Amino acid sequence: MQQAVTASEPRPRAWLTVLNIAFYAVLVVLLALFVYYLYTFRDTIALDLPVWLQGAVVTVVLTVSSIVLATIFGFIGALCRLSRFRALRWIAFAYVELIRGTPILVQLLLWGFGVNIALANIGFDPYNVAYQFLTVLQSNSILPSSSVAFDAAFYGIIGLSFNYGAYLTEVFRTGIQSVDKGQTEAALSLGLDGRQTMRTIILPQAIRITIPPFTNYFITLVQDTALLSTLGGVIEIQQVTTSLASPVTGDANLQMFIYIFGAFIFFCICYPLALLARYMEGRIAVAY
Amino acid sequence: MPAFSVVLLDFLDGAKNTIIFCVVSFPLALLLGLLLALMSSSRTTWLRVPARIYIEVIRSTPLISQVYIIYFGVSGLLAASGLAVYVNTWTAGIASLALNYAAYEAEVFRAGLLSVERGQSEAALSLGLTSGQTFFRIVFPQAIPFMIPPFVNDLIYMLKDSAIISVIGGAEITTKLDVWRVRFSSNPLPFFALAIALYLILSLPTSYFARNYERRLRAQQ
Repeated sequence: MQQAVTASEPRPRAWLTVLNIAFYAVLVVLLALFVYYLYTFRDTIALDLPVWLQGAVVTVVLTVSSIVLATIFGFIGALCRLSRFRALRWIAFAYVELIRGTPILVQLLLWGFGVNIALANIGFDPYNVAYQFLTVLQSNSILPSSSVAFDAAFYGIIGLSFNYGAYLTEVFRTGIQSVDKGQTEAALSLGLDGRQTMRTIILPQAIRITIPPFTNYFITLVQDTALLSTLGGVIEIQQVTTSLASPVTGDANLQMFIYIFGAFIFFCICYPLALLARYMEGRIAVAY
Repeated sequence: MPAFSVVLLDFLDGAKNTIIFCVVSFPLALLLGLLLALMSSSRTTWLRVPARIYIEVIRSTPLISQVYIIYFGVSGLLAASGLAVYVNTWTAGIASLALNYAAYEAEVFRAGLLSVERGQSEAALSLGLTSGQTFFRIVFPQAIPFMIPPFVNDLIYMLKDSAIISVIGGAEITTKLDVWRVRFSSNPLPFFALAIALYLILSLPTSYFARNYERRLRAQQ
């Protein structure tokens, strides 16, 4: 049926082929124009690219540490939501609803300017704790010299991972629930206990299902680290971009270029990741 | 501490502005998204590739960068060419939300239109309807029920993402929160509680509606 429909379609006419070739020619010209646009600002790039790349490194470090913490939060949350105890189920439910009902920006501000101050009032200072801890390890020189930057990064990572933990809770929960109930029953009847069933039977199957949404959240997490620029002190890509652009408000073209280049760096990180995610998704779909 | 009623009124004003941002931006995003979806499922390269490029670029860059580009970058260029009257947070905020969400809505439209069985359009075409009639009278009306839950979800996402407009001072809830928490920086938690409560009041009923609707839709099938 599908074959017949495709076969009956008229073959592309000659002028359409020409039009397509013309399109790719236009596309190449546009790409060349973009490269030329970058070239006209080569002095700015030569001067500022190292700073931007440092920002990119900070973004990657923030993303990776947040996703690790968020996975832990999400896993605990999913186990709580599927727990036998009603209190745990309710806590996990409230956590998910509260986080998913409010903007991540407000949550980050809450961690960075609300919880931060409240905890400082009762005497908790993460910079001091980290300093003491690393002094014991004789390597406190790896800490940034200002506690403002450290605190912003610390509470930023907590805020990001607390937020993404809620989304991952749902991802993991649906992953675990989507494994057929017969699998559990079979494992239990073969004599495995509850923990063994979870670890050796359910989780390996659930992980396959959770990989596509997980990678999607990873990509949005890279983009959401840009919100940490509102906390001040976290020198990631967006913070670098804003602080490079704000002194040049008189030169509208240069300002525009700096903002575009900042977004371009995000694009260079996120688009390959998205392509990789799509490729993996295709592989996983095939494997079943 | 200021009187509670003063703070509450200010935050309610912010909530009004948040709603205005969403109510104006979302239909714009839907229109542009439909256009992008039609373009990206077209067979003509001239339409398909530009739409794909737009969607990929928007989805691979953070909204906050786009807000900065539109508010500071584009308005800087406008002001430099003597068009400074068009520079304000309303236009920049609505433009960035609409342009950003159009890319996401395009994907929703595409998935929704694909979910309508191919036989429907074949039957319509074989009955002599033109392709325009087939799309607007047969395929599109059947796709709408499938698209409503993701649209409502995206509306809630937009409600939350409108907080990002606070970086340019959009006078919505988060901007109010910023003003008050800086003025009373030794005890900012009450203001956070108020802002969070407002966002929850706006978002939770909507998400329950979406979930209920989805459940009923699934039960119908």
